Amino acid sequence: MFTVRVLQHSRNVCEHFLYSCSNRNYGKAIIVSKVVEISPTTRHEGHTKLVLKVNDDGIIERGDWLSLTPVRGIEKLAIGKSMHQVPKISSRVCGICPVAHTLAGIEAMEASICCEIPEDAYLLRVILQCANRLHSHALHNILTLPDMYLPGTDTHINPFTPEEPVRSVAKRIQKLREIGQTVGEIAGGEPIHPSNPRVGGMYKNITPRAKAKLYDLAKEASVLAREHMEFMITVLKDWENREAASVANGPEVEKNDKFGFHDQGYMAVDPLYGNSSLDVDQRWFPERWTEVRPWDWYMGEMEITMDDPDYPIGGTTPAGAKAWPQMEACTGVPLYDGVPVEVGPRARLAIFRNYDRKGAMGLQIARQMEYPDCLYSMIEAIDALDTSGSVLADEIPQGDGSLGWCANEAPRGTDVHLAKVKDGKVAWYSLLVPTTWNFPTCSRALEGAPWQLAEVIVRAYDPCVSCATHMLVVDESKKVVAQKLVQ
Amino acid sequence: MVLGNYKECVSARATDRSILARAQDGGIVTQLFAFALDEGIIDGAIVAGQGPEPWQPEPIVAMTKQELLDAQGTRYNICPNMALIKEATRSYGLDRVGVVGTPCQMQAVRKAQLYPVGMRYVGDKIALALGIFCMENFSYQGFEAMTEDFCNVKLESAVKMDIGKGKYSVYNSSGEVKQMPLKHTLKFVQPGCHVCLDYVANLADVSTGSVGSPDGWSTVFVRTKKGDDIWAKAMAAGCFETKPIEEVKPGLELVTKLATDKITKNQKHVDERATFGVKADGSAKALRNPYL
Repeated sequence: MFTVRVLQHSRNVCEHFLYSCSNRNYGKAIIVSKVVEISPTTRHEGHTKLVLKVNDDGIIERGDWLSLTPVRGIEKLAIGKSMHQVPKISSRVCGICPVAHTLAGIEAMEASICCEIPEDAYLLRVILQCANRLHSHALHNILTLPDMYLPGTDTHINPFTPEEPVRSVAKRIQKLREIGQTVGEIAGGEPIHPSNPRVGGMYKNITPRAKAKLYDLAKEASVLAREHMEFMITVLKDWENREAASVANGPEVEKNDKFGFHDQGYMAVDPLYGNSSLDVDQRWFPERWTEVRPWDWYMGEMEITMDDPDYPIGGTTPAGAKAWPQMEACTGVPLYDGVPVEVGPRARLAIFRNYDRKGAMGLQIARQMEYPDCLYSMIEAIDALDTSGSVLADEIPQGDGSLGWCANEAPRGTDVHLAKVKDGKVAWYSLLVPTTWNFPTCSRALEGAPWQLAEVIVRAYDPCVSCATHMLVVDESKKVVAQKLVQ
Repeated sequence: MVLGNYKECVSARATDRSILARAQDGGIVTQLFAFALDEGIIDGAIVAGQGPEPWQPEPIVAMTKQELLDAQGTRYNICPNMALIKEATRSYGLDRVGVVGTPCQMQAVRKAQLYPVGMRYVGDKIALALGIFCMENFSYQGFEAMTEDFCNVKLESAVKMDIGKGKYSVYNSSGEVKQMPLKHTLKFVQPGCHVCLDYVANLADVSTGSVGSPDGWSTVFVRTKKGDDIWAKAMAAGCFETKPIEEVKPGLELVTKLATDKITKNQKHVDERATFGVKADGSAKALRNPYL
């Protein structure tokens, strides 16, 4: 007999259970689901695959989007190391948003040891945060544009073509990225894996000359970013209004009305920067977080029954092969109030700016709308920065082992780091990174869409998977984790 | 080729009186950096500023002529200028960096440009690298012992130090000159200097030092295309007065002699290191050869 674990809060697993029953007992007469696998998915950071159950019309009934990136083990590496070293290690988890991981890690340490940082150090961190978001959003545009069409035509956009108008768009994107990285380089010491932030503030303040340079760069970028935002929103709305679409040079299929819609909630702690357990107004609650093993969440072993050798690039996995999502997934499934939530640009705008556009394009458009806010905040922070101010706390406590957390609004969503620091050493460390939150949510957003366009939905979440490979120790049941956290 | 490759060699001194007043010799480095700052060739220069102890240098990023003037003069102990090269392009926000240093520091500059490990976006921002002649360098404690114990001048009351004609000389505030023979300073030489095979900063854009030129003048080697370009501009702007190196005493002959001496002596040391160590079984073990 077959066995599938049923989890109370997993609606999909229950459905899967029912599907399986009906398939086995009543054969093809009632429901015929085919299984198709897109592996690997492309044009995003990290390695993932899609295992999709589709009906006869090619509409996804259940989609499992799962990470294949091997587990990093950062949380275990951290134990016993000094609190200064650990955020530097955790930033190495990825090269696209190392700033978010550095800042979240450092502020989780600071929250655990109860260390307040000087105002100017905070401002430098805000500048760094904005710089990271600017470059990351621009980078994502390059990844997403090949799905889109030149408005009014049936021509996919190739961001690498030398032809106008795409060429100037590509140059603008690269200019925005260059500015983001240069600002990060000056404020953070390095654009990738910033060296300047430290527990207690920053190592160095910047010079007046560097401040002026940052200001010029931010001003230059704010003009470009506005133009770019308008271009991107036009392109994205054009895609949304099309009847049919294709992925790259794949076959064109009709879209559904509610492309990429889901009914999950949003989670965000700040429109721009973050929130930590040191803040008076706390907006993230560790006791509302629980985790589920992939075994309990994803589909069981199954045979792939449908393939498309023409699917770009290189076709889908051939029929007859096996897929076993619950064994292959490399992430835990974090839940907030017992359900998956969406994090990212739309969550921030929905919570703090009353944004209400749904679907995959709603998320994409929200991302573009963050450009101006990001640059205006950067300019404000540069203006407010006192280059002769101290950037290091006078006293850095060594910690008594109490729990501290920091939720940093990384480009892709809320990046929560939790830490316990005792006598300057890390006793416990956990990362809850944006794409981990988005995995189950996005899997639900796949339902109802034609499977050929599943990757468009995945890409809308700007997945950045390498940091999302986060595992629980198998023994730890949900209840134990929750109890530990409220201690 | 003990003097390295060079396009031009002259004896020179700055024309600016304010620079010459406190210059060690011809004020070449200060004048060239001041010119490059004025012309926008560099945004700032890493030079040896005043450290926490008297006569202890500390690398600083000089962005004005006044800061350059404050950092003038030679202090015979270690100043890790390369430690600031990355920071200069980061929190200082410089796009074009000038750096002055000893031959080993010039090697480090070129290595950072060739193999930018931990030096991302730094190499292409090094706009002018000035080298200074160097026979050897001292640790601060050694330098303190030489000045205070051998020459009997408290560091606080010293106004200038000089090495030349086989002697280490200290000028104190009452105008006296105290000297010690250079051979007695050997034990204070920091050990790394014994493997150095470069006397005249072969890898710098422009290298300079007092040896070979009369007092108050400096010998200048213009080595690279970039160095040549900047030197030509500075000459055209009237920054330096020069004499052909062939016409001054003691001339290149002395530079060649000292460079040969240094290389011969240190090559011997490098060779000795091949059998200097001891393995567990008592046989000889090679210490690291920095040139392999």
